[in-house]
Amino acid sequence: MSVILRADGLSKRFGGLKAVDAVDLELGEGEILGVIGPNGAGKTTLFSMIAGSIPPTSGRVLLNGKVISGASPRRAVHAGVVRTHQIVRPFQNLTVLENVMVGAIYGKGRPLRARERALEELDFCALRDRAPQLPGGLTLAGRKRLELARALATEPRVLLLDEVIAGVTPVEALQMADLIRSVREKRGLSIILIEHVMPAVMRLSDRVIVLDAGKKIAEGTPQQVVKDARVIAAYLGESASATEAAAREAESTPTPASGSRAATRPTPPSNPTPFSTPKKDPGERQ
Amino acid sequence: MKLLPHWVSRPALVALLAALVVGAVLPKVLGLSVYSQNQVTETFLFVAAALAWNWMGGYLGQVSFGHSAMFGLGGFVSGRLLLALHLPFPIAWVAGGLLAAAYALVWGHPTLRLRGPYFSIATIGVGEATRLVMTYWEEFTGGSSGLSLPITPGLKSQLYWWGLAVMGIVLAASYALRKSTLGLGLLAIKSDVDAAADVGISPTLLQDVVLLLSGFTVGVCGAFYASYQNYIEPGDMFGFRTSISFVLMAVIGGVGTILGPALGALVFVILRQYLIGSYPQLYLGIYGLLLIVVILFEPLGMMGLWLRIARRFGFLRPEVEAGLAAKAAVGGAAAGVRVREGGAP
Repeated sequence: MSVILRADGLSKRFGGLKAVDAVDLELGEGEILGVIGPNGAGKTTLFSMIAGSIPPTSGRVLLNGKVISGASPRRAVHAGVVRTHQIVRPFQNLTVLENVMVGAIYGKGRPLRARERALEELDFCALRDRAPQLPGGLTLAGRKRLELARALATEPRVLLLDEVIAGVTPVEALQMADLIRSVREKRGLSIILIEHVMPAVMRLSDRVIVLDAGKKIAEGTPQQVVKDARVIAAYLGESASATEAAAREAESTPTPASGSRAATRPTPPSNPTPFSTPKKDPGERQ
Repeated sequence: MKLLPHWVSRPALVALLAALVVGAVLPKVLGLSVYSQNQVTETFLFVAAALAWNWMGGYLGQVSFGHSAMFGLGGFVSGRLLLALHLPFPIAWVAGGLLAAAYALVWGHPTLRLRGPYFSIATIGVGEATRLVMTYWEEFTGGSSGLSLPITPGLKSQLYWWGLAVMGIVLAASYALRKSTLGLGLLAIKSDVDAAADVGISPTLLQDVVLLLSGFTVGVCGAFYASYQNYIEPGDMFGFRTSISFVLMAVIGGVGTILGPALGALVFVILRQYLIGSYPQLYLGIYGLLLIVVILFEPLGMMGLWLRIARRFGFLRPEVEAGLAAKAAVGGAAAGVRVREGGAP
């Protein structure tokens, strides 16, 4: 599998805080890469740097070998990298159709036939019948699909999805997961996915990277990652000595953290439960 | 018939032509006196200026209190050119407009990074600084004694037709700007500048383009005003009152709408005519009151009133009405729109 997007030693420092600390990642053509980590781990900052919204303090992002970081979001979009927002940001003053048309006009593709292309994206995201409405009338899941449609209309090659599943009902979460899969299957896009809903990440992602306090602490298939002692420690907030203990335990047994710890794990990997909806993110606007 | 781009609606074209025809036959049919005809000329001028202000304040949502800088600069540059080179006045106007546009870009490119009230405050500073510099720059503006322009016979009746033409062009430009893909980008920036950037818009570029267009047009209006008045003075041309009058016209008529500022300018000129005669001291106070009433009760001004009537009597489908209102809304006005949406059945 060829690498489409690569980040080399990407760091972002806000004053004394290292929000993202020397993160490397590779995204394969047609791959879905999950990014997980506790709140404040630097996931969204990482996205902002890849999407060009904020310049990295050091490091760079390459798309097909060309540097796209450090310039502007427009440069990233025109190269083929587009993001959605964790807190949905539709253009409230434009209709659903016009929202998507903005992506079609100003994105990577030529602005011709913007209206038709926008309507196709609305079809794809099951929003066609909402086209003449204002986005204020959509449900949260609808607005998240609108974010996706608007991003797809820019004709990207890499899609950065920031928590498109969190906060919606279980049924809507399943629909969104299907939609993300079909973005990959039918459109051939490569996707990086930040998500708090663990079962969704685990089922959708080919690979997962885990961030904690700005650092990449684990990388691998979903099955490998959830067994990683450092990941468990990061999620359960154990002290350093306990982390070491967990690491030793991980080395000694192929299935670490058996017994009581298994019950408190973020995700039971062997038994994928139906999508659960965690408590609403306090930052989420209805 | 595929003569027109798809975004030009036939009713809009008919309305524009009708306005021009009415403007053309008005002096003959009503047998207007020279004085009244000049009032109409001035109205054309203010319609054009208010519409150009609205490209910034309404479409883009960047409310400028400094447009007098371009108005004055256009006036004085054109005036100096007329005096020194005896150019035909349309050429001097365009030159004034171009210089005004360049000046707009000089202060606008850095300040347009600010948004909302911060940008507005910056524009007050720009306007006042420009006024002070120009008042003391006597070689250029004549200082507080001003500048007298050459008077040619029949100038005022000629200016009537030029005014009609300028207004027609600016009306068409307002429509085109709002309906074009550029207009859609401006509305997106007005709603959420960061989200707009994240789908590939360059807010800097689009804002600069609109500022150039708006600055040029307001500069031409200032040049026109100079030719019309024959005498200009920096305290008036660059004054804060001039800036405020553009804001008032747009707000009374309906910020962010295509036609609103034109109606607002009409009302402004008529009101000023009556108020200046009978209550000269009160007239600014009454404007202030009007502004407060409009913002409190009908944030979209006369166009908002029209949308209400249209919905009441079923001329417009509710979603179309809501869409129009949402596009026009700026800042505080947006809150008003949301409240009304919530109350809709």
